[in-house]
Amino acid sequence: MINSRPRGRPLLRTSYAQDLALLDTPAKRWWTAALLVLAFALPFLLTDDLLQLLAVGCVAAIGAIGLGLVTGYAGQVSLGHAFFLGIGAYTAAALSGDPDGRVIGFGVTDIALWLPAAGLVAALAGVLVAPLATRLRGLYLAIVTLGLVFIGQHVFNEWSALTGGAGVGRPAATLEFLGRPLAVTDGLGTRDQKLFWLMLVLLVVFAVAARNLARSRIGRAFTAIRDRDIAAGVIGVNLPRYKTLAFAVSSFYAGCAGALLYTVTGFFDPGSFSLLLSVQYIAMVLIGGAGTISGAVAGAFFITLLPRLTREMQAWVPFISTQPNEVPNVFQVETILYGVLIIVFLIFEPRGLFGLWVRARAYWKAWPFSY
Amino acid sequence: MTSAAPSGATTAAAAGAAATTIASRVRGHALATPARIAMREKVHGIWAEVTWESSWDTTLTVAHGLLALGIEAGDRVAVLAENRREWLWTDVATVAVRATTVGLYPTNPAEEVGYLLAHSGARVLIAEDQEQVDKALAVLDDCPHLEKVVYLEPRGVRGRYRHPALLAWDDLLALGTAHRVAHPGAVEALMAAAEDRDLATIVYTSGTTGRPKGAMLTNANVDFAVRTVTEGGGLADPPPGPDDLILSYLPLCHVAERVFTTWSNAGAGVQVTFAESIATVPANLREVQPTLLFGVPRIWEKILATVTTRVAAASPLKRTVTRFWLRVSDRIGARLVATGGRHTPATRLAYALGWIFCYRALRERIGVGKVRYAASGAAPIAPEVLRFFMGIGVPMHEVYGMTENSAIATGNRPGRVRLGTVGEPQSGVELRIDEATGEILTRHPGVFAGYRDDPAATAAVLEPDGWLHTGDVGEWVDGTHVRITGRARDIMITAGGKNIGPAGIENELKASPYVKEAVLVGDRRPYLVALIGVEADTVGQWAQDRRLPYTTYRDLTTKPEVVELVRAVVDEVNRRHPPVEQVRRFRLLPRELDQDDGELTATQKVRREAVARAFADLVDDLYAPGGDR
Repeated sequence: MINSRPRGRPLLRTSYAQDLALLDTPAKRWWTAALLVLAFALPFLLTDDLLQLLAVGCVAAIGAIGLGLVTGYAGQVSLGHAFFLGIGAYTAAALSGDPDGRVIGFGVTDIALWLPAAGLVAALAGVLVAPLATRLRGLYLAIVTLGLVFIGQHVFNEWSALTGGAGVGRPAATLEFLGRPLAVTDGLGTRDQKLFWLMLVLLVVFAVAARNLARSRIGRAFTAIRDRDIAAGVIGVNLPRYKTLAFAVSSFYAGCAGALLYTVTGFFDPGSFSLLLSVQYIAMVLIGGAGTISGAVAGAFFITLLPRLTREMQAWVPFISTQPNEVPNVFQVETILYGVLIIVFLIFEPRGLFGLWVRARAYWKAWPFSY
Repeated sequence: MTSAAPSGATTAAAAGAAATTIASRVRGHALATPARIAMREKVHGIWAEVTWESSWDTTLTVAHGLLALGIEAGDRVAVLAENRREWLWTDVATVAVRATTVGLYPTNPAEEVGYLLAHSGARVLIAEDQEQVDKALAVLDDCPHLEKVVYLEPRGVRGRYRHPALLAWDDLLALGTAHRVAHPGAVEALMAAAEDRDLATIVYTSGTTGRPKGAMLTNANVDFAVRTVTEGGGLADPPPGPDDLILSYLPLCHVAERVFTTWSNAGAGVQVTFAESIATVPANLREVQPTLLFGVPRIWEKILATVTTRVAAASPLKRTVTRFWLRVSDRIGARLVATGGRHTPATRLAYALGWIFCYRALRERIGVGKVRYAASGAAPIAPEVLRFFMGIGVPMHEVYGMTENSAIATGNRPGRVRLGTVGEPQSGVELRIDEATGEILTRHPGVFAGYRDDPAATAAVLEPDGWLHTGDVGEWVDGTHVRITGRARDIMITAGGKNIGPAGIENELKASPYVKEAVLVGDRRPYLVALIGVEADTVGQWAQDRRLPYTTYRDLTTKPEVVELVRAVVDEVNRRHPPVEQVRRFRLLPRELDQDDGELTATQKVRREAVARAFADLVDDLYAPGGDR
């Protein structure tokens, strides 16, 4: 039935499937295909250090999509994303760790096992937290989730049998699939090329899943709750259930992202899961564009690449130093830029990078009129 | 042939081959291409599709339902609804059981509904919703023949109204299903007995003067019209077919929309898409992107006005680029006018460039991106409007016809367009212009069977030898094309003794985006004056752009700046006419004209006398000595 409409009329929708289609116009289909081809060809075009950064960006995007689901779609402000990232990271690291090592390890090195496990454990934590969300909203919920980060940081710092202890850390999960290591340099490619491809594939899987969730009954329930939870309750949305679900799904994404995040560098420290990390993810969602998947992805790449950008910028702005002990230096610029960007976006384009894209698209779509 | 009960059907069928009706044509499509789309209608946000097979199946059920209600051959079934699937099903089902469809305008006030129902003697009325049911129930006592009122939308009716005459559409279908089981083949038997002279429909003329008159069209009339538009090359070239889409939005009770919707659907298998309402036509046009599009002048003028205002409101870059290409399209249009609609290499090149920068997007935005044949009819249109559409690449054709000749008389053929004329006589049409009066007469198989219950009126327009007096005054252009100069009864004779056809001047005024209505007055008066209604949208926008505060429509029309704006339009038109045909003075109408006040017909045509009467004080003021313009 989906193809029964006459040709060349993307607005003439003859079924709800067409109305909800992910790529509802031929233009979107072509551009998405082109973008994917370009993304998969990147390893042949870029140097390994950039690829590594982009791989981190892919993983950050998975985490940002998760936060986008709970904050952008369901409207539940969460500052506790770092906590769920941490749970995912330690679950995966512990599962795949060396049983005879310094820290807890179970020797389950297959990504097909530790990745879902990390997601599920984080999701479970999300479900446990969710009752808070059903009772609180707005600022109060934000403060409560902030509490999670502090509890998490304390536990991660003190439980050195699992985490290796503050300032010491432990190795991240091992990237193996069916007994074969996924990220080693061999005839097929370098470690960073393979890492990028792996993370890109995972990002596409997670992003498509999130888009599908967002356009489903569940996604519509989320947005209804975001727009007005009382109204959503009145039209029959089961608030406790969908808020719990939002936290569970979001935490699952965070858990998976946490598990993958440190496999790129190979080592991590309990100090990583501080409030700063939560704020970074909030920034990704806000700068990218709340309430959109592509926005979260764009925001994640933007924030991940920002340090690199400021460092490149230094070449053109010579008075900024690369030495941390000189003023002004790139690290200060980076921090300031970070804050300025959030302010600028919230004031001038609350829809974020995605909003900029929407504006550009609307400009051409409305041609030759303005509305 | 008044009685054709199922039992007697076999004898009737033996009388000869069955006449081709819209019912037999629809059945033909259902048999030949059962899975193709016959029509679409928006249901809960998506365009629900109906295949020929299911369309014919429903039609059969409705036909059986009508039989179950006691409808017999020769009876009338009335429809009082907006364009929708049930309209077509009822129309075809009614013809299938050899009864006659009567269409009523949904905008008709209750009193007029009562007159039409009583005059047509309809036994069953298909009413759309609570609003229409209310009208029908209010006049039920004046309509002795009316037995059943079938409502389509149960909201507000079901469970609240307990009138014995009321019946839900679903219940009609249930009756039909039961009847179909009990009397299989009853409808087919009636179809086999159909004759050419059976009345297919009664179309009430909008009547700018007096009561509406019921023009009776037979199966033969309809069939001639269908064949002319589908096979005779009277419409698009190549002829319309199953791959064509149309948007049905003008009232189906009007003969023009019947030609474009019901008859081209039944005749050529054109896919019909029903607009949600007249207000959503721009949005629906964008969604549907029809390939054939018919509009009354008002629609085309409105689209042109929309383009003008929206370009003016566009951002500087877009405005500059679009205005440039619209100037180019103006030239292309002028060139096409000169060549009859055929491109020259130069216009083709200019159009190709403009297509990239403007025309493709513009056409798609206003919903005419895929139109391969556009037509304007039912009222005269200003040539400037047609030229605009030709310039941006919409093959625009003015056509001419009237209810009494099944809407078939003349049309501009693709490639032989002559602007300002209504084209050449369609194939099979005899057309002559009376030497003495200049009146246009037509004769062809589509000429109607007469006005219902009004032999005097019939005799006045229909000569015994088949010539129909159209009431329009016209002249030949180059011996091939016909130009309409006015309605015979609208001709104004000023006190100076000069004959003036007001329609042309009025249309020139209406070509301005700021003018919605223009009514000329001047019969037996010293000079011409005009009552002008401004277009609320565009003038409102114009006032806003100039930071001119206003509250209501009335307030807007009293602003000296607005009067000056209209004066500029009037002066521009006056420049093109000799002094005796110039509008000396004008006044702005203080409110918009309305059908409920009797100033507009159901087809939104101005009733000149009613307007002149309603605004008599303005007219007197215009002729008062010393009054300013």
